[in-house]
Amino acid sequence: MSSGVEISPARTGGEFRPDEGYFTSPGEAFGPRSVTLSIGPLVIGISGLSARLAEALDSRYRPFVVREAGVPDVRIALRRAGVDRFLEFRGGPAGETYRLESRLEGPRLTLWSYEFAGYLEAFARRAELALTADEGPLFDRGLENFLRVVTASFVLERGGFLLHASGIVRRGKAYVFFGPSGSGKTTVTHLSPDDVVLSDDLTLVIRNAGRYEAAGIPFGMAHHRVPETRASFPVASFNRLVQSTEVRREPLPGARALAELAGSLPFVMQETKQSARAVEVVARAIEQVSVWRLHFRKDGGFWNVVEERVG
Amino acid sequence: MMDQGIVLTKNPNVAYRIYDGEATVVMPERAEVKVVNEIGSVVWDKIDGKRTVEQIVESALQSVLADFDVAPDEARRDILAFLRELREHGMVS
Repeated sequence: MSSGVEISPARTGGEFRPDEGYFTSPGEAFGPRSVTLSIGPLVIGISGLSARLAEALDSRYRPFVVREAGVPDVRIALRRAGVDRFLEFRGGPAGETYRLESRLEGPRLTLWSYEFAGYLEAFARRAELALTADEGPLFDRGLENFLRVVTASFVLERGGFLLHASGIVRRGKAYVFFGPSGSGKTTVTHLSPDDVVLSDDLTLVIRNAGRYEAAGIPFGMAHHRVPETRASFPVASFNRLVQSTEVRREPLPGARALAELAGSLPFVMQETKQSARAVEVVARAIEQVSVWRLHFRKDGGFWNVVEERVG
Repeated sequence: MMDQGIVLTKNPNVAYRIYDGEATVVMPERAEVKVVNEIGSVVWDKIDGKRTVEQIVESALQSVLADFDVAPDEARRDILAFLRELREHGMVS
């Protein structure tokens, strides 16, 4: 039985950048099952799963899996890639920064990395994802990375954004801690053992009834954990983390706050239209929510500063 | 050196926003985000695809001298240096 995807020998070695025709050829799904996820304001339908894959996703993303959710905001059809890889790992022993390449053609944003290639069309609410592995860590990584991109792109259309940040809920309010890798996002979650951790890596900021709320996403943890809740909480503040020997915070004025936050938005700043939209969305958020540079030590003392009321 | 007669245009792919005099500039092609200070923002604002380098410098100089405590020669030098930097970063062409 043919897979429906023609593979020329030249395409199986080295790197394979999916051209325009790649997704127009019929692909072979992993199976007939589907799973629906509810993430913040987004409902994402994932189809083309085998029974085993569906059960695995159902179990892993449990708090975010929904049975009755109406029409999804986006449907992602999964298929076998038919190639060994899209991008080739070039790193030495020290590895390489995860590579993700993209191309925008009209309404279609096509992305590819080592283990996946996919496209999404926001207006048509559809996406397709080709994965090189049938299951296992490569399948999981490809799916999750694509889901992160889909989430970041679609939430932007709803006036929210996905931020490279940890999110912690204390006394019903969400505190968002952001910054580049190594700035302390995971550390602050470890220093908050009695609080609800929404994420230690990617936090969703959404607009709900005119206010900004933070929520976790099922693939937003650095270490493959899933937040216990899919609820969203009003954002008290955005805090740009700076490791220090002292604990203090200073307000970040508008242009700097916008730059710091925009610099922490994954996936949406490489493409002109999306980056312009992202700037607009973040600018609106910081009109309502204060942004601080937080100097902190590796103890829980930063909470005294973060929870301080202003004025 | 920069040709004083060329017309400078903002890179159409650049997204920017001005806050209290400072500007946040996003360059998707380079995945870079920059903050331009108050004097830089004055200069940035003058780049409209119609003015030449010389006209931008003269116009920005007037605004800068009116609003900031800076010597004219120093301001002119800084403005030109800033324009060169913008070109090097692909923010204007």
